[in-house]
Amino acid sequence: MMPHGQRENGWIWLVKQLSGGLVFLVILIHLVVNHLVAEGGLLTYNDVVNYFSNPWIAGMEIFFLIVVVGHSLLGIRSIVLDFNPGIVFLRIVDLVLSVTGAAAIVYGVWLTLTITSVV
Amino acid sequence: MNDLPGSPSGKRWIQWMDIRGKGAGNWGFLVNRLAGLGLTLYLFMHLIVLGKLSRGADAYDGFVKLAHHPAIIAGEVLVVLAVLLHGFNGIRILLTSFGLEVGRQRFWLIVAAAIAILSGLYFSMRMAGVL
Repeated sequence: MMPHGQRENGWIWLVKQLSGGLVFLVILIHLVVNHLVAEGGLLTYNDVVNYFSNPWIAGMEIFFLIVVVGHSLLGIRSIVLDFNPGIVFLRIVDLVLSVTGAAAIVYGVWLTLTITSVV
Repeated sequence: MNDLPGSPSGKRWIQWMDIRGKGAGNWGFLVNRLAGLGLTLYLFMHLIVLGKLSRGADAYDGFVKLAHHPAIIAGEVLVVLAVLLHGFNGIRILLTSFGLEVGRQRFWLIVAAAIAILSGLYFSMRMAGVL
């Protein structure tokens, strides 16, 4: 896919591609470790809290959160660009997506710290 | 802009849906647009639901009990399939973007879909304890 529209510049496109590669790598780890390696598949509160007590796991999940939120919102932006939005509308979309992404990341980090401090 | 043969024009969103007489690249584009929308929706639902972890063991374990409903399990299998399709097809798109294997998009789309479906079914069966 070539960068399309005149407003998805090459850098944003490159970030989307590279974050996509990172997301895929980490999501495979996330799925395999959370469901197949972790005893019982993390289906209880205690399992989740024990799992997150490992700082490497908590760190990996926060890294994953940041990259996957960024990649998904850049993807939504690409879809918005397919509608050929006006520049003002696009700026509003950019603002909404930025605030949503920042809120999701702050919330996810807060949640991670909340459950890691339970132990 | 000089688009690659079979690549989406990106000029009109409705052209995603119109794959008549177009190449495999358009199918791949449509697959990743739709899977990406679904996965974004899932990501935010996932984050909201995990918020129950902040309200203690009863809140979370109560939700997990509800989530054993067959409809939710079916949805989870779809999420796993969507992740693998979007990911393997995404790698194919990345290669195409850098000019690799542009003439063999159909072949690599089929390979990506086959790997995604087989590994998704295997993973789902392991997750469900069938294997």
